[in-house]
Amino acid sequence: MEALWIVLLGSLTAGYFALAGFDYGTALLFRFVGRDEPERTRVLGAMTPFALGNEVWLVAAVGVLFGAFPRLEGELLSGHHGVFTAIVTGLVVFTASVQLRGNSRAWDVPLIAGALAVAVGWGWLAADLTGAPAPLWGAGVVALFAVHGGTFLAWRLPGRSGERAGALARSLVLPCAAFVPAVVLLSGSARHPELAVVGAVAVVVLLLGSRLASGRTAFACTALACALPVPVVFAAADVVHVETMAHTATLTVLTPVALVVLPLVLLFQWATWWMHRA
Amino acid sequence: MDPLDLARAQFATTTSFHFLFVLLTLGLVTLVAVVQTGFALTGRPVLERMARFWGRIYVVNYALGIATGIVMEFQFGLNWSGLSTYAGDVFGAPLAIETLVAFFLESTFLGLWIFGWGRLNRWAHLALIWLVTATAYASAFWIMVANGFLQHPVGHEEQGGVLRLVDFGALLVNPTFTAAFLHVVGAALTVGGVFVVGVSAYHFIRRTAEVDFFRRSLRLGVVTTAISAPFLVGAGIAQFPVINELQPDKFAGRPGLGIPLSVMMLIGVALVLASWTAVPLLARDLVIRLRFPLYLMVLGIPLPFVAAIGGWVVREVGRQPWLVHGLLRTEDALSPVSATAVLTSFIAFTGVFTALAITDWVLISRIARRGPEVTPVPRPVSALVL
Repeated sequence: MEALWIVLLGSLTAGYFALAGFDYGTALLFRFVGRDEPERTRVLGAMTPFALGNEVWLVAAVGVLFGAFPRLEGELLSGHHGVFTAIVTGLVVFTASVQLRGNSRAWDVPLIAGALAVAVGWGWLAADLTGAPAPLWGAGVVALFAVHGGTFLAWRLPGRSGERAGALARSLVLPCAAFVPAVVLLSGSARHPELAVVGAVAVVVLLLGSRLASGRTAFACTALACALPVPVVFAAADVVHVETMAHTATLTVLTPVALVVLPLVLLFQWATWWMHRA
Repeated sequence: MDPLDLARAQFATTTSFHFLFVLLTLGLVTLVAVVQTGFALTGRPVLERMARFWGRIYVVNYALGIATGIVMEFQFGLNWSGLSTYAGDVFGAPLAIETLVAFFLESTFLGLWIFGWGRLNRWAHLALIWLVTATAYASAFWIMVANGFLQHPVGHEEQGGVLRLVDFGALLVNPTFTAAFLHVVGAALTVGGVFVVGVSAYHFIRRTAEVDFFRRSLRLGVVTTAISAPFLVGAGIAQFPVINELQPDKFAGRPGLGIPLSVMMLIGVALVLASWTAVPLLARDLVIRLRFPLYLMVLGIPLPFVAAIGGWVVREVGRQPWLVHGLLRTEDALSPVSATAVLTSFIAFTGVFTALAITDWVLISRIARRGPEVTPVPRPVSALVL
């Protein structure tokens, strides 16, 4: 049962990065992808129907962290107080701005700043966990999300703006692919460096794959490239331990809830994609 | 200030903001679901326009309120890691269920409902708003289970210095949970009813041309308040024997708590009397033609919010110095963090929350003042621009 909950925590967190990653990427790129106001509204409109559903993967992950890994939750969050304050502030600003943007350009700055704070914040956390330099990780996650956002827009948007998004994403693939081995080489404190190497190779392959493929396949590649660092960093830094988990009695109560809720969320989030099919 | 005072001030501030959003969300979604059911059954265009108009205000409030909920969730781990370390096995379970059942599912359903107008089958779309409503109440249910545990910890035993869950069912029949949950449900419905009444009354004061629209809305709001307010007061009174038995020191030596308590009770009784007076006046639209009740209705909008904050202060301040009553002191639950760290997050979160609350009020009052759309509404481009 412990293994089930570790997989669940990992999947929810990875799901959050795979999905919300393109929200942040879209926010970072939309001013470059759209040349005028109507175009920018359309670019953001490609992402907004999914934003709420994407962000709540993190909420669910933190809920699982609290319920099933209570001693890890307290240690992880309070141990990285400043990082999480930045991430949560960025998240709140970003989530509100996405909803408020509509046709009002006043929200562009908080929208981009929020996305940037969240991306840099996650990079900073990964740097804290692995011992690699924080600026490198911060820039790397920003670039990774931008590639993902660009690939998403290239897939979903017809015409010139879609082409521009694709070109932006392709131009960012190589810097991204260079960042990945760099953080692995510079991560001092990883307990399992071999995992980091395997993960890095996989991410680089996925990134290059996204450059060769197009449409949905490229999007799947960048989604995986955003999600993969989560299990890799957590495993390499050896963050999750069974001792930090809740007792069997608690997990027994939570398991049926998770088994009912997760398929429902997947089904209804799939329905969201189906309703907005490209 | 020391980190403890700062962390407590931060929790009180963020929770108060969050609670204001939550109450309106819960109250309004119920009324939207009722109106949309009417539309699905009768196909009357006025009911569809009502569901869209009140639904839009609800969505604005939800979309900004969800941001406050994210902070609430992180705050436990950031500032109160002692709580999850000591009581996480028990307290964390309802909280985890809340995030999975409510937050996760609710947002997914809501996203489909918002963008589903005109795209989904009428009955599928109606089912979605009821699923949103059900998960919203599930959220209140599990949060109050968790809060009830802090007031009166049950269903646990201490092993090796931490609490272990032994009887989950005991959490669900915890007397500090049951009455308080019904009280919160009553409060949410009352907030929704009073809000709809107040906004409708405002439009009659302005001699709106949308007579049918706001007449129906006003009636719905008055009837909702007349049903929910006595229920709210009753569930409130039902908590006193529980408090006397389980938290006898709640009011002792705390004269300051008398003020929020009296304010809340006065407002509760006033809303019962006002709504019961208004129900007979609905006949032949007397309440509208007399005009002066309309002004009282507008002035009444903030009252249930004030009462709710009062009630929350009584419940939570009255728990001190305990975080988990009798087991874990608030000071012992504080994370090992510096005052500077807590102050930074306090300033960041409070700043963002104040901006959110102001934005929320500005947007809602703008939508409310403008009234329903006259022309057919285009497809939404974002959650708030329906």
